Amino acid sequence: MKKSANTASLRSRLLAGAAAAATLLAFSAGTASAAANCIKGDRKAPYTIGWANIYSVPTWMKQTEGTISAEVEELKKAGLVKDLMITDAQGNAQTQIQHIQSMIDANVDAIVVIAGSSNALDRVISDACDKGIAVVNFDSLVNTDKVTAKINTDSGEWGAGAAKWLSDQLGGKGKIIVMNGPAGISVSDDRRKGAQPVLDANPGLEIITETNTEYNVAPAQEAMTSLLFANPEIDGVLSLGGALSAGSVMAFDRQGRDQVPITGENARQFLELWKEKGLKGWATMQPNWLGALSVYTAVQALEGKDVPAFVKVPLPVIDDSNIDSYLARADQFPADGYIYSDYDQALFDKLLAQ
Amino acid sequence: MSAVSSTGWLYGAIQKRRNRGLGGLYLVVAAFLVLYAVLFPGILSVGGFSKFTQNWFPLALVTMAQALLMLNGGITLAIGPLVSLGAVIAATTMEGVFGVPGGFVAVALAGLAIGAVTGVIVAHLRLPAIIVTLAGSFIITGVALILLPRPGGFIPDWLSNGLAGHTPVAFLLLVVILLGWKAFLATPLGLGIYAAGDNPVGAFRSGVPVERAKVVAFALSGLLAALAGLFVAAQTGSGDPIIGTPFTLNSIAAAVLGGVGFLGGKGTMRGAICGSLLLSVMINVMFFLGFPPVAQYVAQGLIIVGAVAVPELLGAWRARR
Repeated sequence: MKKSANTASLRSRLLAGAAAAATLLAFSAGTASAAANCIKGDRKAPYTIGWANIYSVPTWMKQTEGTISAEVEELKKAGLVKDLMITDAQGNAQTQIQHIQSMIDANVDAIVVIAGSSNALDRVISDACDKGIAVVNFDSLVNTDKVTAKINTDSGEWGAGAAKWLSDQLGGKGKIIVMNGPAGISVSDDRRKGAQPVLDANPGLEIITETNTEYNVAPAQEAMTSLLFANPEIDGVLSLGGALSAGSVMAFDRQGRDQVPITGENARQFLELWKEKGLKGWATMQPNWLGALSVYTAVQALEGKDVPAFVKVPLPVIDDSNIDSYLARADQFPADGYIYSDYDQALFDKLLAQ
Repeated sequence: MSAVSSTGWLYGAIQKRRNRGLGGLYLVVAAFLVLYAVLFPGILSVGGFSKFTQNWFPLALVTMAQALLMLNGGITLAIGPLVSLGAVIAATTMEGVFGVPGGFVAVALAGLAIGAVTGVIVAHLRLPAIIVTLAGSFIITGVALILLPRPGGFIPDWLSNGLAGHTPVAFLLLVVILLGWKAFLATPLGLGIYAAGDNPVGAFRSGVPVERAKVVAFALSGLLAALAGLFVAAQTGSGDPIIGTPFTLNSIAAAVLGGVGFLGGKGTMRGAICGSLLLSVMINVMFFLGFPPVAQYVAQGLIIVGAVAVPELLGAWRARR
């Protein structure tokens, strides 16, 4: 009697165990099917991350690498990451292919990449994806969809937001100058294209002329200086890059002209001029923490979480209401650097839950 | 002593003398290859070997294209743009009516024609090659950008997988091309390229058609660079109008590293190929050693200086003994 009861209880326990195992199995099967692209579930923490940069020299890249290293340190503390390998292709897409191939050979668990060419990396990246490596691509994107996730802001919205603010400032009419980055560069094209519908909707805005310069202060200042001589009346400047805005403001200043409303980017130099000259300004940014977010996303995917194939990061906006909070942190950033908005894990989780 | 055996003996002696200066470079390259194999044993597998040689292959081709001209006393700054143009032509013609064969022919003809025209301008108008090819590089870049303004185009998957898949096809092609070069050097015209580079007047008096040798050298160089572009297109699965740019400087660096002189006639193709292999394997070795990017810039410079210095020091040491 006692024995049978025991057996019965044992059997029920076994059954319960089996049922639990079955639920667990079903559950894990459920998560497996929901797993992110490229992930096979055979890789275990702590992970090795490869950061395949195209070119490490510009300040924006250095700051981005800073957020990646900081995020890796955090994840190391949590026992999720053990190593970060960094490569710099020195602007050569062919070398970047070689680096990513080496990362595959070294069997890293995740690759975070800014592409040096929108097409050239497609094959090597899909090889990595086939090997179950989490590939997260941000800022400059590849063509192939065989990646775990792509992460970026929308350059079109950048242009539209800037044009909208300027139009509101000028009451929809006035003479403006448009400052663009280099011709033939997709980010510069895309920002300009985004501005066009807003400009079309406000026919009162008259574009005097447009400039195309490198994203550097000196050439922008030079271009604006000669435009100031030629145009006695300028009501606003639609600048689609931070260093361009700084160059423009300095040109106005040198010529003793009154400053006009101007758009820009989170370049420290522009934000400081904005405050110093009491400008009417507006700025947005390509946040450097896209790098940190990419590492976080890769690790989340490796941990079996589902992550969206495309993470669209909304553009943070800087205006008179919050510029002081940015400038208060200015000394933590290089003089020619970008003061990016604050970020934390909660923000990342929110972005990945889209 | 019969004439045949004396030429055989002479040939051997000449080859030995030409190899001597390269001993140091061979040592450095071998050391790097061994180090690479220790760090990443997977290189010894078919797949690993294939992928590594694929990444090296286009650089080897453009280095040949550059060395060919430098041996002839010339130089070209149009290598990179020609690679881009080759890639762009391949990616835009292979979906046309003539398909892949049509693409191959178009790329080869473009390379040969551009090279030959450059050669004619340099040889017959007697303009400096460096200026002509610099101007040519702008024109070729422009044409590539007109043909394909943004990266794109189409390369059939089977071609990509065939040339740059998990088989060492690229390496075998390189062996075939090197054998072809060896055979070409045995012809009067092939030898004439060297001779005209070393001593144009002497070569002319010995009956070498110096101008023709120059035009042929430029045409072959253009062909090799354009074919490198076709390979890059296959490797990446698409065309990119600016992907070749870094090849110009790298091809010169590899050739000089391999002991090819700027003044013509001095150096060997095998040395140049070794130079390109060193530039390529260096990238992978530095990766596996875990060098941070900043250290990679420095190390790269030191390795190149070292690779040039070691043969010199070895020579000095040998002379002192």
